Amino acid sequence: MNSIRKYWSIFQITLINSLAYPGELIGRSLMIVPFMWVFYQLWKITFAASGTEVIGGLTLRDTLWYLMLAETIELGRPPLARTISENVKDGSIAYILNKPYDFMLYQFSTTMGETIFRTLMNALFGGIVVWWLVGAPNQPAGLIVALPAILGAWTLHFCVMAMIGLSAFTFEDVSAFMWIYQKFAFLLGGLLIPLDFYPQWIQSIAKSLPFSSMIYGPARLFVTPSLEIFVNVMAYQIVWIAVLGVLLTLAYRRGIAQLTVNGG
Amino acid sequence: MFKELKFLLAIWKTNLLSVMEYRVSFLTQAIGMMANDFMYFVIWIIFFDRFKDVRGWGIQDMYITYGVLASSFGLVSLLFGNAFNLSDIIARGRLDYYLSLPRPVLLHTVSSRMIASGMGDFTYGFVSYAISGQFTWDGLLRFVLATLLAAAVFAAFLILMQSLAFWFGMMSNFSALALNAILTFGIYPITLFDNYAKLILFTIIPAALVGAVPAEFITRFTWQTLAELLLGATIFLGLAVTVFRLGLKRYESGSAIQVEV
Repeated sequence: MNSIRKYWSIFQITLINSLAYPGELIGRSLMIVPFMWVFYQLWKITFAASGTEVIGGLTLRDTLWYLMLAETIELGRPPLARTISENVKDGSIAYILNKPYDFMLYQFSTTMGETIFRTLMNALFGGIVVWWLVGAPNQPAGLIVALPAILGAWTLHFCVMAMIGLSAFTFEDVSAFMWIYQKFAFLLGGLLIPLDFYPQWIQSIAKSLPFSSMIYGPARLFVTPSLEIFVNVMAYQIVWIAVLGVLLTLAYRRGIAQLTVNGG
Repeated sequence: MFKELKFLLAIWKTNLLSVMEYRVSFLTQAIGMMANDFMYFVIWIIFFDRFKDVRGWGIQDMYITYGVLASSFGLVSLLFGNAFNLSDIIARGRLDYYLSLPRPVLLHTVSSRMIASGMGDFTYGFVSYAISGQFTWDGLLRFVLATLLAAAVFAAFLILMQSLAFWFGMMSNFSALALNAILTFGIYPITLFDNYAKLILFTIIPAALVGAVPAEFITRFTWQTLAELLLGATIFLGLAVTVFRLGLKRYESGSAIQVEV
């Protein structure tokens, strides 16, 4: 119980810290505005050219709200891999490791603390733009149904980003891994195009990989909430969190065994 | 003029030697960025495979637009890397170092950093043009010229936005927003936008001058597109230098004369 309270406190402190510079928080969140406007132009023309109101089970309004949540999830994520890799490279990890908490749980608590308000602000600005362009979401209650899936998406993303950050134990620079992971998430997670618009064979591959559980699952659940989709998304997320959690633990133990800190 | 060019060549050579000191890191970043660019483009391949075109704008146009945008962005990253964090340098008083030396402050500041991943972007742009299905040798010459002019607009836009830090202090979020806006609007088909939006894309956010217009010039030479590119690059460079100089008069020293490593 004490242990949970400790990490809860770390989470709360980071959460409050993230509000210390409201101008920066708002400035960063405004990035979603041009994205949503361009998406609207693209999909409005594409739907009109297709001569249909529904593509892959989604209307133009669904597509825009889907993309809003997908972008919100993506833009709300702090650059954890870079933070961990900097900790490893500059040796400051030594100061964190000798504190009375688990390094990974500490990182998880701070990441979650940083994510909450970033996500809320992105959802607010993105939501206002999309509402203005296409109207309210068809099923606003879908947001509540999607909340557990958003939490699952953050956890999955944390596992991957932490593993990339820990690769700094072996590689000099982890930027390339970050870019490639991000593009896998864009492509196979359905960030810019909903997976339902892809050819069937790519859909099958993408939906069985963890990337779809990080973006597509929660976003689709939001626009077309149903028990079937909810169970499906949560089941995939649980399996992938278990798999990636084990891999992260192994990577962490291996990294710590290799760690050499000179000076202090 | 010749003296400044010699100075630039010397500084670029030093920058290159500096990034090549960590060869594995340099190669990882360059190759990683090429893979990153390719994977992003796959999304467009999937889109155009399904929806064919956007008001007459097809996948071949995308190859060229994406190519010239990537190469010009890469070129600025390689040669003028500090253009991306100029506002940070201004706000933290780190201009002191450049002011204390007998060289043009702006030129010296922006050229003092080379971003290794830029090599990946620069190279990928040429690959994208080569596989666009519209490759010709004279087209390649136009691609090189268009890349240079688009890079000039890119660098000028970055300097212009980041120089606002002289008036408003730390501008890193605004700068990131402006960079994202020009990249986003530059990559998407210009046929998406109406006339009012296009006016913005030629002026406030000159995305058309780093994407659609250079792409049109590469595909088919016309004096009009060349004039648009030359005029755009000249006006934006002039504006950037003027705003930077005006801002420099307001600059307050951070008492931070130090060795720049």
